[in-house]
Amino acid sequence: MRSQRTGWLLLAPTLLILFIFGVVPFIYVLVTSFTHWNAFAADPTPRFAGVDNYRQIVFDTQFLYSVWITLRFAFFVVVSEMVLGYFLARMMMSNFPLKGFFRTIHALPLMVAPIAVGATWRLLTVPGLGPLPYLLEQWFGIDYRIGSFPTQAFLTTVVMDIWHWTPLVTLTMLAALSSLPKEPFEQAQIDGANRIQIFWHLTLPYLRPAILATVFIRMMDALRTVDEVWMLTGGGPAAATRYIGLYIWRVVFPKTDYGYGAAISLVTLYLTIVLCWLLYVSLVARKEKKRAD
Amino acid sequence: MHSHLLTRTALGAFALMAVTTFAHADFWSDAAKPYAGVTIRGVSESTPPSNYVKDVLAPAFTEATGIKVEFEATSWDQMYDKAIKDMEASTGIYDFVYIEQDIIYSYLARDFLVDITKTLADDPALKAPNFDIANFTSFINYFKDPTKSDDLFGVPMEAFVKVYLYRKDLFSDPEVQAAFKEKTGHDLAPATTHEQYREIAEFFTQWGKDKNIELWGTTVQAHSGHPSSWYEYFESVAPTFGVYNWGIDANNNYAASVANGGTMNGPKALAALEYYLGNLALAPPESTQSTWDEVAATFAAGRAAQGLVYGENSAWIATDASKSNVVGKVGVALPPLGEGVLAEAEAGKGYIGYYDGGAFGIPHSSKNKEAALLFLEYIGQPDVQADWAVAGARITHTATYDDPKVVAQDAKVDGYYTLMREKGPLFAGAPPYPFHAQVREATAPFFYEAIIGQITAQEALDKMAAAAEAELTQLGYRKN
Amino acid sequence: MRRSRGILTLVFWCGASIITLFPIYWLFVISAKSRADLFGRPSLLLDSVNWDNYIATLTNPVFQHYMLNSIIVATCNCLLVTTMALLATYALSRFPLVGKENIFFWTITNRMAPPAVFLLPLFLLYTQAFTIGEWKLYDTRIGLILLYCVFNLPFAIWILRGIIDAIPKELDEAAMVDGANLWQILTRVILPVARPGLAVTAILTWVFAWNEYLFAATLTSVHARTITTGLAEFVTVTGTNWGLMAATAMLTLLPALVFLGIVQRHIVAGLTFGAVKE
Repeated sequence: MRSQRTGWLLLAPTLLILFIFGVVPFIYVLVTSFTHWNAFAADPTPRFAGVDNYRQIVFDTQFLYSVWITLRFAFFVVVSEMVLGYFLARMMMSNFPLKGFFRTIHALPLMVAPIAVGATWRLLTVPGLGPLPYLLEQWFGIDYRIGSFPTQAFLTTVVMDIWHWTPLVTLTMLAALSSLPKEPFEQAQIDGANRIQIFWHLTLPYLRPAILATVFIRMMDALRTVDEVWMLTGGGPAAATRYIGLYIWRVVFPKTDYGYGAAISLVTLYLTIVLCWLLYVSLVARKEKKRAD
Repeated sequence: MHSHLLTRTALGAFALMAVTTFAHADFWSDAAKPYAGVTIRGVSESTPPSNYVKDVLAPAFTEATGIKVEFEATSWDQMYDKAIKDMEASTGIYDFVYIEQDIIYSYLARDFLVDITKTLADDPALKAPNFDIANFTSFINYFKDPTKSDDLFGVPMEAFVKVYLYRKDLFSDPEVQAAFKEKTGHDLAPATTHEQYREIAEFFTQWGKDKNIELWGTTVQAHSGHPSSWYEYFESVAPTFGVYNWGIDANNNYAASVANGGTMNGPKALAALEYYLGNLALAPPESTQSTWDEVAATFAAGRAAQGLVYGENSAWIATDASKSNVVGKVGVALPPLGEGVLAEAEAGKGYIGYYDGGAFGIPHSSKNKEAALLFLEYIGQPDVQADWAVAGARITHTATYDDPKVVAQDAKVDGYYTLMREKGPLFAGAPPYPFHAQVREATAPFFYEAIIGQITAQEALDKMAAAAEAELTQLGYRKN
Repeated sequence: MRRSRGILTLVFWCGASIITLFPIYWLFVISAKSRADLFGRPSLLLDSVNWDNYIATLTNPVFQHYMLNSIIVATCNCLLVTTMALLATYALSRFPLVGKENIFFWTITNRMAPPAVFLLPLFLLYTQAFTIGEWKLYDTRIGLILLYCVFNLPFAIWILRGIIDAIPKELDEAAMVDGANLWQILTRVILPVARPGLAVTAILTWVFAWNEYLFAATLTSVHARTITTGLAEFVTVTGTNWGLMAATAMLTLLPALVFLGIVQRHIVAGLTFGAVKE
């Protein structure tokens, strides 16, 4: 067989870059998480603190709240995008004029910078400046002020994320749907299966890898959301949209609490890894089970 | 990006270059000889006064000295972050940094900055003949370090006061006056007390509803997720009720809560916060999403009859028709005050509002300190001040008040500069706290909860006081 | 029957497109209004288009500089990542390397961490560790290009992996028998089949690099500043200049759109993640 050496050589540039720019900073952050270090404390130098920062996390109700609302946000966002994305992909499968044109338009939100997405939605939702408050009041009598109403703000961030990222799901689902083999489905129709049965027993299993992969990616990114929400609400009203990414940003930048910021970042990373690992294992396990069959 | 301003000031700049290079050609080119060809780099906020430095003063300086200037103008958060990182790590990226008045104490505590007085004393060749600390307004005192015999650590480049703006046209409208008199029994005039302010705000909010126009009685800087709301309360509203220095007593182990000897959650603070929160009902709907930018925009759009607005905005709101709908309709006055507050301010025991501004300073880590110092002296010259004032509504030299261009603009902004000159000493900058940003971040979450009504004003104050004390203890300032 | 279904779908997609485009349309409206007109009863239609913001932006040498930087960073990063990912995925696919799955998962974890706290160590590395004499990696385009690899490589490898795994090894072996070396196998056997995957990798990588804000803002100062950091600079004390910001945002969107138009054909085929036709 091929020499292992060539293989490692091909992999080397990737590993090298990831090591220098990924692992080295990570180690620095890890070490920092074991220190008390605030640039403007009475003693601004880093002091060894053992696991004190980690202990503090348990009592940090604000952080725990941020974790809770981030998980809630990720849940709403991922589920909505998967359902909507699948539905749109199905709509894209049939033949209609100007398909390519509409596909490009649909993919547009993916191209907008997150910070611009936040700015755009802010321009849409500021009363007196944007159309949404005005239209919602005129058509539905809703007093739409995301600076004052936590639930409205939360829902707006969800809608904003859906607008931004559903196209990724649509395109992935479309790719998967396009590569479905025809025979099993034709066979099932001949055998008299109805739509629901076909969907549940045929479509879903075939789509499983793509679905899990997409959920993985979206979940990973939803848990890290910062730019858009920061631009839109700054984390407000109060803590309603202060997701983990924003909370960490607040601790590290204005508050310059580097030690604690490092600790909560690593805890967040660990949380994300655990969640994603569970998904990944089920993806790989299924694949291997399939191969074994 | 500020094209029309630039054409106006470009002429000024040419005149400036001619004057300075001719009159002091000897000094600038001589002093800069050892440093010619050097490039200095600075970071500042992207505001009109800073942009003026970038677009006009820096090129003029390069022309006069041969020292190149790379000026990075960026957002408020980014500027702080990068400057602090650079100075902390001593990476020597920046040769001069913007120092907002409230952060100078943190920088001095960390000994980040070069002692300008000492440097000029040690190397007389660097001292420009027309650079004199005595030329500056009292604002410069904020940048002196009392622990180092009042040596100077920053050269002021902008200063403003946050004032009370009101719609002169509405206040002098006979129909409005009559309706007001009928409703309240006395004449309509700019408020001098909080009760009057509230009364006027209620009147105009109702007026807007009755006439079906987009007008409310007051602006409130109440963004429920951005520190600007916190600032309006602690820096502009609370002092007018007699709560100074955030209610923290630095001479009493940094106590914040009444129980420990502070005033953050005392009766005056409660009155102040309830007043601030009560104004929300009389403010336009975008108030809970308004930072300092949006408050200015709201007032400039004509949506509010009164408001507390930062000084640097007053100028363009009153004069720039491309950005403002209320040109020529703006009145300027002192903020409404509680009983006894003015007396306390005049006695030097308190203050009535916020004296905002910033300076440029030189980090120790800079590799081109002398060249940077020359630049700071250049922008601190008397000759450049007037045009700069007109461009950015900022005054740092006493003589600038008398310059004809400034006097002309003063008339257009209802005497803002006169007010700043005469009543400026009654205002104060941020308290001398090196833990400024840290305590702000620790207390802000409760403040935001009060804004949206999740907790009452008293609860918010109690929680803020507790959080402030906890943070101060953790940082090591407050001893147990 | 089929015809009416086609028409209905068309109508549906017209509606969906309106929803998709509405925020961007509003961004355009803001960019075309004069500043004094921004507040008030928002009108969905423009009476007149004010191009001042666009002219001011396009003629601004700073903007042009930022735009150039963004193009260079995004394009170079895209090429670098695509190449490296192709090599890496080929290695993972064809070679019996120890700990393959773990390596793969580990590369993805690089993308999972909240970025805020990693800015400080990277800043220190860029300003003090990665230096040669006076030259620093800080405020250079190459600095950003290398850093973005950390975020883009994992994703690229993932996308390409399914596609390359699906190419039968027999094809490689056949080519080797014909005397082809590694390079020729890559370019003649793998490349043509993997084209959709490479297209997707290219566009997603490019867009990420183009749109990235936080690290670009922290690790650059004047020389290597990109367009997205330019956007944040409009938030100032004297009023966020929404009109200019919106105009800049629209202009930032254009190159990404152009690139999308070029590769959009391949995107669908490329996003299979390993779900392969039997």
